[in-house]
Amino acid sequence: MDTTNRNQDLTTPGVMVPGNSTHPDPSQIGSTPPTPGSDNVSAGTTQKSLTPFQESMKRLRRDKRAMVSAFLLLFFVLIAIVGPPIYMHIGGTVTTPEGIKMSPAIYHSPFRNNLDYEDLAPNGMFWLGTDAVGHDLLARLMQSLLISLIAAVLVEIIDISFGITVGVLAGFYGGWIDQILARFTDIMFAFPSFLFLMLLAAIFGPWADTHLNNIPILGQNGNARLLLISLAVALTSWPAMARYVRGQTLQIKESQYIEAARTSGTNDFKILTRHIVPNLFSIVIVASTLNISNTIINEAGISMLGLGVKAPGSSLGLMISDSLGSIETPHSWEVLLPCIVLAIIVLAFSFLGDGLRDAFDPRSKD
Amino acid sequence: MVQFLVKRLIGLIFVLIGVTFITFMMGYWSPITPVQILMGNHFDPQLYNQLMHQYGLDLPWYQQYYNFLVNLIHLNFGQSYQHRGESVWSIIAQGVPITLELGFWGLILQFVIGVPLGILSALKANTWIDTANMGTLLFLYAIPVFVLAVFVRVVIVWLDLNAGANWPPTGWGTPWAYDWTDLQYKIAPILVFAIGGAAYIARMARTSFLEVFRQDYIRTARAKGLIERIVIYRHAFRNALIPLVTIFGLSIGFLVTGSFFIENIFNIPGIANTTIVSVTGQDFPVIQGTTVILAVFVVLGNLISDILYTIIDPRIKY
Repeated sequence: MDTTNRNQDLTTPGVMVPGNSTHPDPSQIGSTPPTPGSDNVSAGTTQKSLTPFQESMKRLRRDKRAMVSAFLLLFFVLIAIVGPPIYMHIGGTVTTPEGIKMSPAIYHSPFRNNLDYEDLAPNGMFWLGTDAVGHDLLARLMQSLLISLIAAVLVEIIDISFGITVGVLAGFYGGWIDQILARFTDIMFAFPSFLFLMLLAAIFGPWADTHLNNIPILGQNGNARLLLISLAVALTSWPAMARYVRGQTLQIKESQYIEAARTSGTNDFKILTRHIVPNLFSIVIVASTLNISNTIINEAGISMLGLGVKAPGSSLGLMISDSLGSIETPHSWEVLLPCIVLAIIVLAFSFLGDGLRDAFDPRSKD
Repeated sequence: MVQFLVKRLIGLIFVLIGVTFITFMMGYWSPITPVQILMGNHFDPQLYNQLMHQYGLDLPWYQQYYNFLVNLIHLNFGQSYQHRGESVWSIIAQGVPITLELGFWGLILQFVIGVPLGILSALKANTWIDTANMGTLLFLYAIPVFVLAVFVRVVIVWLDLNAGANWPPTGWGTPWAYDWTDLQYKIAPILVFAIGGAAYIARMARTSFLEVFRQDYIRTARAKGLIERIVIYRHAFRNALIPLVTIFGLSIGFLVTGSFFIENIFNIPGIANTTIVSVTGQDFPVIQGTTVILAVFVVLGNLISDILYTIIDPRIKY
């Protein structure tokens, strides 16, 4: 403690900013009491001691940026799921110039081109306006969010289950599993992952178009390639997860409680499932949160290049590429909307991921 | 050193073979044969077999792969399916200089912007300057490059309309020419290319400098009364650069993939756009050609970063 303080005084002569000493060196966090987290722990012990998980959640709840991000994301998820069924019933029946009567269920459908209502600014009938071919932008946006959500969930399911299985086995047993994992990750890291996605989408896309288009929600309305793309994204992302898990497993393996469990005759399977996997929770949750934004960007990017979700379907990327032409018109709102929403989602995920990392592993800060 | 380089080269050749194999197999296993795409609706079994034979697509896979590799060594990527009569090489050769130009300036700008910002943040660590700087950079690093590109295009159009800037919103102009009209095309895409990377480099530079400032030799340098400028630029700078050199090499590798979306949004006729067009059109020879070129970039980037590493840090011995 003493030496580190003196160190800091030495490294901060005149040129350094005044007031630096009021900010503790990040390396001291964890060893010194003044961090708010540890303060609270000692206060908590007088009543009831918190589990490490509860402690982490407490730290997370104090992180304003992460909490705002979490609420924003929750809001987007809610919109994606409960938004369309509600929006469908809002508004009265409208008579088009041709004399056709339309209920809100029809003109608020994300798949419909309302050709009499093109390039409208946000108004009472179309809350976020319409694009150049009369799509209701709010309806499309909600559908796009749903697609992003589905892609994220699918990818994370595969990513986490594959990553944990291979990572734990590689870390625990080493040997050939470890070797194969190492070689595989090397190749995946050397090969540009987005190119890999493009190749997979291009080669198996036409097949998916004809064979996967009957699956409800996942396949209908131009979403046939969603499953394919999610698989491809998961394929490029699980080696990274497996590496994190492997590293953590190597560390846990050496801890004393594993030794104790072994001495008392616990078999490998029980050690893996009872003692190692539950302890991977924090690293997996942090890694997958940070990975989700990557997934959403990849899905949007592939769809933007015309290799993913197709018309009449909707995806943030497809919305951007559909409305690129509006940049030169006064209606650039149409392309800015999906861009802004995508930026917000991605930023929120990275803030939340950073917050989670700081909460679960405070020493990793900086 | 020589031994190490030879070892690395052999390893890299294996990576190249692996990449070509994956690319080849993807085309080979594709559920639709290229000839089917060529013929479209006019399907004729006899002509189909004839064409399959002509393109050598009826051979077993190892022979096809062997032919592919032999042609590759002769820099012959075959004929495009989409643009009949045009060789893949000539199609790729049109795009390569443009993408290289975009990537070259983008990469240089990344370091020119990123390193000073990183140093600034490290010198003012934990002050409001640092926080604001790093916050902005995190923001720029996190948003997808195509969103950034769209924002920039919107701004250009707005300036054209309201400030009479008269800038072209898309296109590229003459490759490697720098008249004012060419620069008007190039500045925006190059800036967009540079910004995301610059943010990453600034973060790395900050961490690296903070690490070096904690070292004993910096304290010694200060203790013997050197002025701060010399401490920073003579003593700290070189050592803090080491991790950045690796990033430089790796960025070379991802130079082409980095420009995918930029070329798409700004309508730049580079190799990334060629790839996108050939992927949508299932033009396999062109896809294979561009993939191999991308892999060569990645491999060269790794090699360059290894070589720079040994030059810049004499402690590293192989």
